[in-house]
Amino acid sequence: MTDDGRSPVLRVSGLKTHFYTDEGVVKAVDGVSFDLAPGEVLGIVGESGSGKTVCSLSVLGLIPASGKVVDGAIEFAGRDLRALSDREMQKVRGNEIAMIFQDPLTALNPVFTIGDQIAEAVQLHQGADYRSAMELAVELLDRVGIPEAESRAEEYPHQLSGGMRQRAMIAMALSCRPRVLIADEPTTALDVTIQAQILTLMNDLRRDLGTSIIIITHDLGVVAEMADTVMVMYGGRAVEYGSVDSVFERPRHPYTWGLLRSLPRLDERAETLPSIPGVPPSLIFLPEGCHFAPRCGFRREICMSDYPELRSIDDGHLSACHFAEVFAEPKEEVSA
Amino acid sequence: MNPEGHAAGTAVPPLIEVEGLTKHFPVRGGVLRRKVGVVHAVDDISLAVHEGETLGLVGESGCGKSTTARLVLRLLPASSGSIRYWGRDLIQVSHGELNALRKEMQIIFQDPYASLNPRMTVGNIIREALIIHRIGTREEQDERVKELLRIVGLNPEHVDRYPHEFSGGQRQRIGIARALASRPRFVVCDEPISALDVSIQAQVVNLLRELQREFNLTYLFIAHDLAVVRHISDRVAVMYLGTIVEEADVDRIYDAPFHPYTQSLLSAVPIPDPKKQRARQRIVLQGDVPSPIDPPSGCRFHTRCPIAQFPLCASERPLLREVEPGHRAACHFARAYPVTDDRAPGADSVGA
Repeated sequence: MTDDGRSPVLRVSGLKTHFYTDEGVVKAVDGVSFDLAPGEVLGIVGESGSGKTVCSLSVLGLIPASGKVVDGAIEFAGRDLRALSDREMQKVRGNEIAMIFQDPLTALNPVFTIGDQIAEAVQLHQGADYRSAMELAVELLDRVGIPEAESRAEEYPHQLSGGMRQRAMIAMALSCRPRVLIADEPTTALDVTIQAQILTLMNDLRRDLGTSIIIITHDLGVVAEMADTVMVMYGGRAVEYGSVDSVFERPRHPYTWGLLRSLPRLDERAETLPSIPGVPPSLIFLPEGCHFAPRCGFRREICMSDYPELRSIDDGHLSACHFAEVFAEPKEEVSA
Repeated sequence: MNPEGHAAGTAVPPLIEVEGLTKHFPVRGGVLRRKVGVVHAVDDISLAVHEGETLGLVGESGCGKSTTARLVLRLLPASSGSIRYWGRDLIQVSHGELNALRKEMQIIFQDPYASLNPRMTVGNIIREALIIHRIGTREEQDERVKELLRIVGLNPEHVDRYPHEFSGGQRQRIGIARALASRPRFVVCDEPISALDVSIQAQVVNLLRELQREFNLTYLFIAHDLAVVRHISDRVAVMYLGTIVEEADVDRIYDAPFHPYTQSLLSAVPIPDPKKQRARQRIVLQGDVPSPIDPPSGCRFHTRCPIAQFPLCASERPLLREVEPGHRAACHFARAYPVTDDRAPGADSVGA
């Protein structure tokens, strides 16, 4: 899905990750494909249970024992990540593909200092000795904007504020100069002024280091600010994919369209918010046909029986809607 | 609802009037649990909420907005100050009187999972409010419970179900039904939608607005999501470290804020419109919110303020004063700088 000829650093195609529970098979990710070009920022948006996090965990080979990548290919720099052994995968993780999480406090080890943890990553992946690893750790902490980095490196995670912890996580993720950084709701736990700091930092790093970033979020504002490309997920599948400008300006899927209309806006005031009725589907009992159809104001008979494949609508803009071309400027909504 | 209306009808006292409200929590330490410090959670705030209007209370975590809500409902005892409901001081009233007033003042909580008893049916959760306030006979209560479920958009036949059988949005509707059971006039909404999925948030916001119109409710709406607050509020108060730094009609706050904190807060929120967002200038604040145990001297915002002037801002605490009619701000230099003005030092710079 890169159209400018650069070969993608990461290519995911037909990814299916299922979980096996007592209640049935949870199709958390059910046939998702995307490409990530060098230096590109891809935003994956979706609500809880849309499969956006499982997507990224699949790429990293971090699916818990109850789940399994059952199909698809994950190609990173020409290598098939699914074919790698655990040991080989461990080298890729952290070294070439790094990840930061929503809650840095659970991702950091509480009994080691920040500096030790970053230095450990550097030693492990780059074979440096402790002293030079520690020097690099301090340098990185300074780079991500932690004041008095040298003394902060000797502090434990609980001594840092939420924003500082997330900076430390980013420093750790960057310690091995990864080609891809996966950021899963990196600012959701943070206050808005701290979020602004972290987003600014991530933008600087991308500019300076050329790291490709996958940012996973439910916040369409964060995507609008950060991403070049956006993939909208619903019920385990991608329902829309395209450049951030074209998706926000002219959404080609009723879910994206409805979501954007339902958001209260900081820059304007509306009388009522046109909300999407109903709730997101259970991933065990997905509806026949289009997963969004039960909530969709534009559905027709075919939507209840046939799942619409993701297809190109115009120049690099993809939608999984039978009526992607016609619904966008609707004359009237079909009564639900 | 109409702010101009209040100005004209000054004879009508506010429904809720808070003056000099202060809450200090002791910090205890050592073997003897001696008091070693004080958290200045809420420090000398004053605000008024008129009947039928929504006052939005915004601020970042730890700014004291939730503590304020609990103080106003007297769920927490205040350290000092007064809270008047229809002119009666809630701090002075007797226990019996307070219980009677509680019927008229309710709260909707953030977490629809933690705030509903998992062992009680939905019907009993809502009925409990009626039992406590001795409202109606058993049959009348049955009817009322079903009516309430209908009002909040749930199926009245589900009264015997348990909370886990409902989705997050539906649980929040149950919480709303419970709050409405005793026919309150004043409802505190404490982050009522922040735990909900994006596509569900609009449903609940719309419901809250419909209910307000139908039952002439007065809301104190607490949230950190500034876009939601703009949508639902008539007036907005911005809190920082236990104090109110700015208060005005909603459009004034959002379109022409005076306080540098409000300005940076608003500029920090990304707008879901890539082209607009790229064109915006952002004031990135330096550092973190200081600890409320030892808040900064003078203006509490001076340590992060892009326009602070020393020594004034570090030595003298600015009062919340009327900068323009109906628009109050607590800044020595309110009006001096418009939003994201190039002259403001630190504007658009990278945070430390």
